[in-house]
Amino acid sequence: MSYIEVRDLRKTFTVRKKREKGSLFRERETVEALKGISFSVEQGELLGYIGPNGAGKSTTVKILSGILTPDSGTVSVNGRVPWENRKEHVRHIGVVFGQRSQLWWDVPLLDSYSLLKDIYRLPEADYTSRLKELTEALELGGLLRTPLRLLSLGQRMRAELCGSLLHRPELLFLDEPTIGLDAVSKLALRDFLLWENREHGTTILLTTHDMEDIAALCPRVMVLGHGQKLFDGDLQDLLRRFDTTRTVTVRYEPDISALSLPESAAVSRSGSDWIISYAPDQLPTAQLISLLQDAGSIREMTLQPENIDHLIAAMYREMDL
Amino acid sequence: MKAYLSVFRMRLRMETQYRGAMLGGIVCQMFFGLILIALYRALYASKPQAMPLSGVVTYVWIQQAFFRMLAATDSDLADKIRTGNISYDLCRPVSMYGFYYSRAAAQKLTGSLMRAVPMLVFAALLPEGWCISLPASLPGFLLALCALLLGLLCVCALENIMVAFTMRTLDPRGMQGLLTLLMMTLSGNILPLTLFPDSWQKVITLFPYAQLLDAPIRLYTGEYPPSEAPRILLTQLVWILVLVGTGLAMWRSCRKRMILQGG
Repeated sequence: MSYIEVRDLRKTFTVRKKREKGSLFRERETVEALKGISFSVEQGELLGYIGPNGAGKSTTVKILSGILTPDSGTVSVNGRVPWENRKEHVRHIGVVFGQRSQLWWDVPLLDSYSLLKDIYRLPEADYTSRLKELTEALELGGLLRTPLRLLSLGQRMRAELCGSLLHRPELLFLDEPTIGLDAVSKLALRDFLLWENREHGTTILLTTHDMEDIAALCPRVMVLGHGQKLFDGDLQDLLRRFDTTRTVTVRYEPDISALSLPESAAVSRSGSDWIISYAPDQLPTAQLISLLQDAGSIREMTLQPENIDHLIAAMYREMDL
Repeated sequence: MKAYLSVFRMRLRMETQYRGAMLGGIVCQMFFGLILIALYRALYASKPQAMPLSGVVTYVWIQQAFFRMLAATDSDLADKIRTGNISYDLCRPVSMYGFYYSRAAAQKLTGSLMRAVPMLVFAALLPEGWCISLPASLPGFLLALCALLLGLLCVCALENIMVAFTMRTLDPRGMQGLLTLLMMTLSGNILPLTLFPDSWQKVITLFPYAQLLDAPIRLYTGEYPPSEAPRILLTQLVWILVLVGTGLAMWRSCRKRMILQGG
């Protein structure tokens, strides 16, 4: 049996609609957040979990972390049912919700951590060595005596991660951990997660909208939409299925007034740039380039693969999400 | 258990950070104390009551000094419920009720002690007729301290019941307004319970709100002689058990139907 086994998980929410004029009662509507999801995860895996807003990602994470009880279906995490034995289960997991905070706002980080130490009943020696390891890896050493409210967003996210990992969880849930972070902080965070996964074999389940996170961290992705699992497998396979177009940006000097290309290529303008997107299997790249050269004297030209976000957007469109 | 003590300690430390609020609170409560006493002096000048004036003055000072014990609410927690940050607390291997009970206890204890000590010193230095009297007896004083501690446990349980309502409605203001009004009236904060008609007092003193400050104050002033203490302390204990039991049941049922909205 795998480390995490999820079978036919279902959850519906009742949403009260705003009362319509003239009607006496508020209508209720049920929303199916999860319509029977099944998957399994092995210990030590790094799994990316993506899907548009409202796809049911967070609902899955909340069920797996024991916060929500599903309507039906079975879940086992290392043999435990999360919502049935919450206290025992949560001792072994760590969570980071990118938009929420678990540390105390007004007190130094160290105090928040020592509270966590008591909550998880960590032995002193264990706590000290783990804290040292984490503060080094996350470069938090100089910040331990600073209250949370004085930290920048990037520092705060590192501090949150440290708090979530103090008790050496075997499973870590990350819900949009890089939201709002600058490039340097993002890269540092990703390196850290890879390190933690490699060093301690921590299983990591990451939900995010940042496709760069997924590309950098997760060999395996799961796509969720309308409460159903749409894809589960290698990220590259997923991209290959939708990665059918390329974009070329060209600038002419002197600029030209019109550019005529075969119909299969879409041409648009941005400032003095011509942006052409085309599908190489319909219009070979070599042919396109010679057409572009004939049109005038090229000053600059860049050819880029389809942006990963565009790909995902195309995928969501195709899957009708 | 260690976890709950640790939360308690943490909250103590946090409370001591708000020294400005403490000063403001002291000034405000001193002002209210003086106004109330002026009012009772005027009342007594025209029509003396059964209870001696010095008793009422003492009652007012202790009520004002421990105002924070009744009034301090954990706005962090209400925020956490509203924003969903409470989800983190659900991911901890501790009882949520115990966790927040410890927090409330620490907040109310520090909040009131930090204000009460300087205020009572000040109130003792005031001229005759305005100042707080000494306790009726040493045993009475010690029993009053015990009763105060039980009162604290009682008010924390009440607080957690209010939080349970917040979990349902997501907005603390409605229930808080209602329950605070009940508490302020029935605990003797607006009018000392000793000045209520005797027939009313028989009922009111059995309510949980009378266990918070009214019972300890009466033990202090000697209106309840030490021989009555076992009955008083037992009433308080019973209320603590009932209120904690109710609160726990409410929290448990909230947890079952709790839905955390948004991503």
